[in-house]
Amino acid sequence: MKIGATIFASWVLIALFMATASANGLVADLSKDHISIRSNFSGETLLLFGAVGGDNRGRAFGASVSPIDVVVVLRGPAANFTIRKKARRAGIWVNSEVHHISDLPAFYALVSTNPIDAIVPEAVRAKHKIGIDNLRDNVPTEEQSDGRYAHAQDVVSRAFMRLRAAQGLYSESESGVELIGGRLFRAEINLPPGMPIGSYVSEFFAFQDGRLIGYQTGELPVDTVGAGHVMYELAHTQPLLYGLGGVALAACLGWAAALMFRRRS
Amino acid sequence: MTIYLPIAEISVSIITLVSMGALVGFLSGMFGVGGGFLMTPILIFLGIPPAVAVATEANQIVASSVSGGFAYWRRRAIDFRMGTVLLVGGVLGAYAGVNLFKALRAIGQVELMIAVSYVFLLTIIGSLMLRESIMAIRATRAGKSLHTRRPGQHSWILGLPLRMRFRQSKLYISVLPPFIIGFIVGTLSAIMGVGGGFIMVPAMIYILHMPTNVVIGTSLFQIIFVTAAVTLLHAVENQTVDIVLAALLMVGGVIGAQLGAAATQKLRSEELRALLALIVLVVGAKLFWDLVSNPSELYSLTRISTFIDPFLFGGKS
Repeated sequence: MKIGATIFASWVLIALFMATASANGLVADLSKDHISIRSNFSGETLLLFGAVGGDNRGRAFGASVSPIDVVVVLRGPAANFTIRKKARRAGIWVNSEVHHISDLPAFYALVSTNPIDAIVPEAVRAKHKIGIDNLRDNVPTEEQSDGRYAHAQDVVSRAFMRLRAAQGLYSESESGVELIGGRLFRAEINLPPGMPIGSYVSEFFAFQDGRLIGYQTGELPVDTVGAGHVMYELAHTQPLLYGLGGVALAACLGWAAALMFRRRS
Repeated sequence: MTIYLPIAEISVSIITLVSMGALVGFLSGMFGVGGGFLMTPILIFLGIPPAVAVATEANQIVASSVSGGFAYWRRRAIDFRMGTVLLVGGVLGAYAGVNLFKALRAIGQVELMIAVSYVFLLTIIGSLMLRESIMAIRATRAGKSLHTRRPGQHSWILGLPLRMRFRQSKLYISVLPPFIIGFIVGTLSAIMGVGGGFIMVPAMIYILHMPTNVVIGTSLFQIIFVTAAVTLLHAVENQTVDIVLAALLMVGGVIGAQLGAAATQKLRSEELRALLALIVLVVGAKLFWDLVSNPSELYSLTRISTFIDPFLFGGKS
């Protein structure tokens, strides 16, 4: 943590210098350049930070300057989903309706300095695909073509967002970015234990008067490492070998237990 | 201390898993039941996806039946010929069961099938065990010894073709009844993650009329190979075997089974058997309640696995 703080401090200095020098009004970085999920991974907090430099020309003459807002998005790899709805059939609850959802991020977190609708108008948000609402276009792909489409789409997409949010995989926090002295910003995003692996994309937006004044994007690879990773890959690439391994392990453990038990009694 | 289960894709406390394995192992060591029919529902209650719970439990039963069967093998209390007929049926049943499982999984109904099968199975086993133990308790209180039901003769079995001599069981019967019994047990094993001894043992005694001294050993012999086949088939067809989970359950189960076997000498087993019967009924009732009560969430979400073979494509997954 101490090392993290030092890195943070030195970065802030560099960022501050660059922000004033750069034509782009934003520089940013993450506390980590990759995430490794080990067997004991129980989630972690990712720190995202940087500096913004807006239009300050008015300040020297004492004129009021609009505040800068920062929006940070972390987006997981695109994935396909199946969402099922239960219905009561003959007294028991059965999966009855099925929708396929394609090409939505498996993880989505948005943090901002203020409520997102107050920072930037909907049109701009849609253009830059900011916010969970702007992911909804993809939900669902098969539905009847009559007027019920829109309603069904809305219900299913809300169910999808709710289920992802319940697992901590979709989140929006309108106070998650802390802006220090109008220049430095710092945000935290919680990475839950069940986070999917793949290539994540971080996006930083700086807005002033609803205009985009700074933007930066980067990649964050998330990978499983260690025994769990080997197991997962083996189970999917060499299933027969994996199955034989499971059986052999069971046979050896059972045999060893029998021998131990025999000696004791 | 939690561990991430790579196939179940959730983090679970190691202590919970090992102690659950030990508890179920204790009960199986004590009463000579396999424990699969209790462990699979427990895993589901812990949040393990039902499909993973079933396949992984089959893997664990391989270990417990190897360690249990060892003693019978040393005592030569296994009818290998009968066991082989049972296991040929069992492996075919397992194949059918795994394919049914796969088909239902594709249409999103495998959880339903597992739950419904368990509600039936646990209610039947629980009621039978409860009835039997109450009778035993009454008999001991009345000071009488409970004499076991004498197997009656079924002439229709003797009339079946394809007869074979089973020397160890002192039988000369058709291979069809053991083959069919094996097939049914294999199917149940594949769709429920159980060994199936609770069906096979009574069937061997009352339908096949096998001598009781070879019944348990022979059923364990069959269970070892059938659950091994179930594990392999699930690993290949469904990728639902979680070896990390299975290993933790095996460790707990092995310790528990030893303690359970040792405890039988000290504890009064009729009352405990009645208690186990009640536990079985409660677990069945809970599964039934989950099927009929209004769910808190109507929707369920599955991410479609888009696993890319890193060896095939040469890239990072």
